Amino acid sequence: MKKPLLILDNIRTGYNSDPVLRDVSLEVYPLDFIGVIGPNGGGKTTLIKAILGLLPLFSGHIHFPSGRPKTGYLPQASQIDRSFPITVKEVISSGLETSDKFLPFLSSAKKEKVRKMMDETGLGSLSSRPIGELSGGQLQKTFLCRALIDEPDLLILDEPNTHVDKHFEQELHEWLKELNKNMTILLVSHDIGTISPMVKTIACVNRTLHYHPSNQLSEEVLKVYNCPVDLIAHGPVPHRVLKSHDHE
Amino acid sequence: MTMSELLTILDYQFFRHALAAALLTSVLAAMVGTYIVSRKIVFIGGGITHASFGGIGLAYYMGLNPIMGAAVFGIMTALGIEWISGKGNIREDSAIAILWSLGMALGIIFVFMTPGYAPNLMSFLFGSILSVGKTDLYTLAGFSLLTLFIFTVFFRPILYTAFDPEFAKIKGIPVGTYRYMMSVIMALAIVLSIRTVGIILVLSIFTIPQITAMLFTRNFALIIPLAALWGITGSVAGLFAAYYMNIPSGASIIFFLTIQLMVVKLIVTLQRQVQRRSG
Repeated sequence: MKKPLLILDNIRTGYNSDPVLRDVSLEVYPLDFIGVIGPNGGGKTTLIKAILGLLPLFSGHIHFPSGRPKTGYLPQASQIDRSFPITVKEVISSGLETSDKFLPFLSSAKKEKVRKMMDETGLGSLSSRPIGELSGGQLQKTFLCRALIDEPDLLILDEPNTHVDKHFEQELHEWLKELNKNMTILLVSHDIGTISPMVKTIACVNRTLHYHPSNQLSEEVLKVYNCPVDLIAHGPVPHRVLKSHDHE
Repeated sequence: MTMSELLTILDYQFFRHALAAALLTSVLAAMVGTYIVSRKIVFIGGGITHASFGGIGLAYYMGLNPIMGAAVFGIMTALGIEWISGKGNIREDSAIAILWSLGMALGIIFVFMTPGYAPNLMSFLFGSILSVGKTDLYTLAGFSLLTLFIFTVFFRPILYTAFDPEFAKIKGIPVGTYRYMMSVIMALAIVLSIRTVGIILVLSIFTIPQITAMLFTRNFALIIPLAALWGITGSVAGLFAAYYMNIPSGASIIFFLTIQLMVVKLIVTLQRQVQRRSG
């Protein structure tokens, strides 16, 4: 049995002293691809911010059995100030910052890495463009590059499908599938329809967390476990009984 | 009036000092103002500016250097606001409004309690660039150089912590340290600029040249030199006008910065329309 990458042990967390999430336990293993779904305001973003160490835990623990993994993070599009005067190149380069020795200027190796990534992802010609002038897809791509440039072990994406067209959605789908060969992915979405074909397993977050070790969810299951998400499916919904939750 | 007549004023030392102060203030405000405008924290700047008046009043009452008093109050306010915004459970805008008016109130009370007439008080409210001395210039020059050094060496962490503090924190950048450092720089830059244009007008030299520069570029590193340039042209024009038309210098500088913004905006808009039509 592989060692988990991260263990959430009965955590309670939220903003100020107001707990948004209670009794959350989850084990994430290397090369997992977990879709985190749930209604708006249910605590999906709170969960990942706790994992990222951006929120205090009121109780419980987060363990990293093999040390804190190198983590790439794509925040929700609404959290990004698009009018801030910063260029595509600068945004992507910020993903290479570390807490080690500080240098006033980026090393040429790092510059080269940024240039290569921009060329590979088709952002090369937009390098000096301020982010305010990008399309939704270009913006998401820029921030995805920022998350990926340091070659993380764990990739956390918060609603990457916002403000993007179908074409980019398809591209993202292929990209994540490829990336999942080498890294663990947590993908947050309020829309299970778009993510269920991509992910391997599903965690349903609504004030607490239910883990479904499959990417198939039936309407009944969602109802029984109080996961009020919109079930969008093309064709007949695959029906499968999941093992019961530990908590509740 | 011929050009040589216009320039005879340069024979006077007080005017040369005033020009140097306008130049240095423009460069300093270009760097710090770009940070302020990009982070959309002009209101915090307003809080620092007005709260510092409490320090001026207290220094007057105790017979100390008013700019020192303003600096202490300004830094305390800036750090206080940054601390409050990090806590998240107090409304930041309300806290700023409280510090803003409390500072002004303390200033008025202390000045009132000081025996005798306070002749320089108006100069702090409206600026007195024509009475800037050598010590003022050296202080301004020293601090501008220090700020330039910090902005050059720590450009990336300053930019990243301003743009997306959460991501910066995940990347291991000491976000709190940079934010507090920038708060102190902001407070000192504002307080030192009070000498030039006064408390009531100081925010405009931290914002108008930046807004003018942003008509041309949305690149943080390029906004700074461009804002310095627009700051210098506007304040130098304002200074000459103030002398020859015998109007208050601070108000004249702000007036010229604004007229300049409007003219540049008009030209840029017209040019884009022409381009669109021909393209």
